[in-house]
Amino acid sequence: MTGSYEVRVTKSAGVRSFQVTLGERMTVLDALFRIQAQQDSSLAFRCACRVGMCGTCAMYINKVPRLACKTRPAQLDSAVISIAPLPHLPVIQDLVVSLGPFFDQWKRIKPALRGSGADTLAIIPPNPDTSRKRDCITCGICYAACGIKASHADYLGPAAINKAFLRLKDPRDSANKARLSVLNDEWSGVWRCHTQFNCTAACPKKIDLTDTIARIKRAMLTS
Amino acid sequence: MKDLIRKYGGPFSGMVAHLIQRVTGLLLLFYLFLHVRTIYALREGPAAFDQAVGAFNGVLFKLLEIALLGAVILHALNGIRITILDLGLGQDRQRRLFWAWSIGVGALIFLAGAIPLFLASVLRR
Repeated sequence: MTGSYEVRVTKSAGVRSFQVTLGERMTVLDALFRIQAQQDSSLAFRCACRVGMCGTCAMYINKVPRLACKTRPAQLDSAVISIAPLPHLPVIQDLVVSLGPFFDQWKRIKPALRGSGADTLAIIPPNPDTSRKRDCITCGICYAACGIKASHADYLGPAAINKAFLRLKDPRDSANKARLSVLNDEWSGVWRCHTQFNCTAACPKKIDLTDTIARIKRAMLTS
Repeated sequence: MKDLIRKYGGPFSGMVAHLIQRVTGLLLLFYLFLHVRTIYALREGPAAFDQAVGAFNGVLFKLLEIALLGAVILHALNGIRITILDLGLGQDRQRRLFWAWSIGVGALIFLAGAIPLFLASVLRR
């Protein structure tokens, strides 16, 4: 079923409204392409895979951070679609944000495997504790949804903590001590999380990020 | 507005729980100061204490007392909810835990306490 929508886009110069007709199976990303092609060629947004694998098209759609390519206007249940850049990240232009601050935190937990010799090449058996948590596509949605991030710029954020958790669970890794000291930091580590569940609610890959953080907290208290 | 209700009533209700915990925590802190200040009047003798307590006999303070009961119940039940979640139990049922436990059970306990309080201290004055 085709529907007509008012799309309100927060551009760098201010909010602009567009009328767009979309098919039932079309997405918010399709709406942006249609606007760019037919109404405003200056509209800047980012995308790559268009199938929810790369996380590039993360935006703030109807007050919730989501992937534009996986969001159908029909599921928003509203004739008005508001689209803004992701919160807590610096805007480059229109809907394009810099993921610099997100990856600055990501780097702090030493995301690369730190091992030595042939051990790092070993294939580890699947772990049910971590299998789902490996699906992270670093889209920045959890970072944008996090209420703590709004007031604590230094906070690592859910994605970085999730990555650290995967490394802590990896028997080949040898940098856990350094990682734990970052995670245990009173102001920017896991203790900043106030169990709001915003990251878990927003994650497009359905990763239970709050559970990851709670697991690290418990491990720190019991070890 | 509709979007916000859908957001915070549904998947993001953990944020509502967090805000409730903060607001009720601040209200209880304010009450604690008021309570300590009133008790402090004992230092000046029984008459001073009676006078200090007498200030809370008005209808407004009785209604605030009922509101205090609500704040204590919400704060306590939500605190139990957060403890359960931090222990790693019910992470996947946190929304239900908030609405059924903190709000649902909280409302029942509140009504059980608020109705007799209202009847005794506001209506039958």
